[in-house]
Amino acid sequence: MTVERGGNANVLEVRDLVVRFAGRGRGRRRSVVTAVDGVSFDIARGEIVALVGESGCGKSTIALSVMRLIEPTSGRILSGGEDLATLHGHALRRARRRIQMIFQDPFGSLNARQTVRQTVAEPLVIHHLGATVGERDAMVMDALDLAHLRPPERLAEVYPHELSGGQRQRVAIASAMVMRPELVIADEPVSMLDVSARAGILRLMMDLRERLGTSYLFITHDLAIAWVVADRIAVLYLGRIVEIGPAAELVERPVHPYTQALLHVSSGDDQLAGEVDGGVLAGETPSAANVPSGCRFHPRCPRYVALGRPVACTSEDPQLHNVGRTPVNLGEHRAACHFTDEETP
Amino acid sequence: MSLLDIDDLSVDYRTAAGSLRAVDHVSLRVESGEAVGIVGESGCGKTSLGLSIPMLLPDNAAIASGSITLQGRSLVGLSESELNALRWTSVAFIFQGAMNALNPVQRVDRQILEAITAHDKNASRDESYQRVLELLDLVGIAPSRAKSYPHEFSGGMRQRAMIAMALACRPSLLIADEPTTALDVISQAQILNLLASLRRSNSLSVIMISHDLSAIKRVCDRIIVMYAGVIVESGSTEQVLGRHGELASAQHPYTHALIRAHPDLRGERVLAEGLAGHPPDLSTTIVGCRFADRCPSVMDLCRRVEPPVVAVESGHVARCHLAVRAK
Repeated sequence: MTVERGGNANVLEVRDLVVRFAGRGRGRRRSVVTAVDGVSFDIARGEIVALVGESGCGKSTIALSVMRLIEPTSGRILSGGEDLATLHGHALRRARRRIQMIFQDPFGSLNARQTVRQTVAEPLVIHHLGATVGERDAMVMDALDLAHLRPPERLAEVYPHELSGGQRQRVAIASAMVMRPELVIADEPVSMLDVSARAGILRLMMDLRERLGTSYLFITHDLAIAWVVADRIAVLYLGRIVEIGPAAELVERPVHPYTQALLHVSSGDDQLAGEVDGGVLAGETPSAANVPSGCRFHPRCPRYVALGRPVACTSEDPQLHNVGRTPVNLGEHRAACHFTDEETP
Repeated sequence: MSLLDIDDLSVDYRTAAGSLRAVDHVSLRVESGEAVGIVGESGCGKTSLGLSIPMLLPDNAAIASGSITLQGRSLVGLSESELNALRWTSVAFIFQGAMNALNPVQRVDRQILEAITAHDKNASRDESYQRVLELLDLVGIAPSRAKSYPHEFSGGMRQRAMIAMALACRPSLLIADEPTTALDVISQAQILNLLASLRRSNSLSVIMISHDLSAIKRVCDRIIVMYAGVIVESGSTEQVLGRHGELASAQHPYTHALIRAHPDLRGERVLAEGLAGHPPDLSTTIVGCRFADRCPSVMDLCRRVEPPVVAVESGHVARCHLAVRAK
């Protein structure tokens, strides 16, 4: 499907999102963890945008902030002409109908004591949708069918323990789709599934996009999966987007040294490229409680070392700038590195 | 003599629905210093096979037939105290999700120290503590972090601490069940590189159990593919997965499905077909090939006759009617 970009075609616009958590210590010595540090991105109608990064990079915090399950510290989350970051009560609940979430663990996210029918009907009950029991039930059956839980009449009566991991994740998708959301936030939806079940779930998500125009914010640590599923990929490092662009271009021509390292590791090239990625693989993942000065990636950056430790890397925080070769309407390719013109050794 | 020799092993589980054969006449050898990967989806019997080696099967499971010989000693039928003498010192096991099994209220160095002193009563405290620091260094944890609590470590570091603990009593065989699941790619690569280097530098034998072929490929010399309790294909990593950049030379359609299941960043940008359906119910008698219902190349014969084990080439076997014997 073709994705139209810009203006009213966006289902979500995140602007300068910052999320801080109180860390350890007391009083003045209390530390602050900046989990998300000024993140902006858009998702167009029918578009799949992937957030990729290591654990602790802030990708799940962004997802939970968009759902307002975590309070953003500052920034705007625009959807349907409203700023979700400032909504409260009834207005927030109404806005949430447009955005649904699928979690990583299909074993923990479903209520073991509820049948599939009860689980999928619950969002309808909460949001007072469906005038009669019959109408509600028709919506549930329709959602089960959409999620390829067939025959819906039989699967509606089973409990989660009777289902495989893949089927459970389909139930989670059905209970998101029963609300006919504009945007689905999928947080590592296949990472706990068997490899054989993964493709089925990813195909289902892509199929729903084709049929219903659903947009996705797809959160994963797996660059290869992001590459085949998403239209655009944003690579996160310590709460910042360090590179964003069309999925094919970003993988073919990564510009940020962190993206390059992720790519090496994800394609199993890291033993060959051990020298190149030594910095990334050897270094401990830094903590968001103690963000390095200048470019936050510099302590692990092979390019920083190769260029003879330029002062800019330790003193100036690099901003995202255009590095793309594709037309802007495909989504700009941008990276936050002072030396994007330099080749990594 | 092989380090480990599993011959014709079957493991049965008693369930409410009756008896269920999780491991069905499996034979497997591991040589000293060799790394063997066991791959397959949930319920294929790979964890049961792994747990049977140190006799750590759950109470409702039992070895129905076969033998397990470790360093020339038969393990089936040994008493619990005889087995305890072998566990940790000859064979160490890293359980699935073990990184979450560290005691949260005890410092990491103390936990590893305990593993050493519990098995070597004569070791002096200083010597043992020196060994703790050596072990942490071996897995890439700086001595300055030794006195940390588990929550102060990242997931990858906790997993490395678990590996250090498993190596505490210098075992000859390390069995690691899904050691990289739930870790992000960089931590995964670190753990896999660590396992690969430990095995080379310490002549350690490794059995790595995983559903992730690419993880196994990085560490193991040999791959065993299990499906519904049986080995459907085994061979050297190169024989099964092909050499770098080549097409895989796997013979079994299930192995092919596993290989295709994960997109290859160097290949085409397409999402492979998933493998529809489920493995067969192991509590019933299976006629013909166990994979027949999900196999894209299924023939009439497959549903009637159990496929033979075909020797494709030396060291490479596949249990499939379509497997081709090399000339």
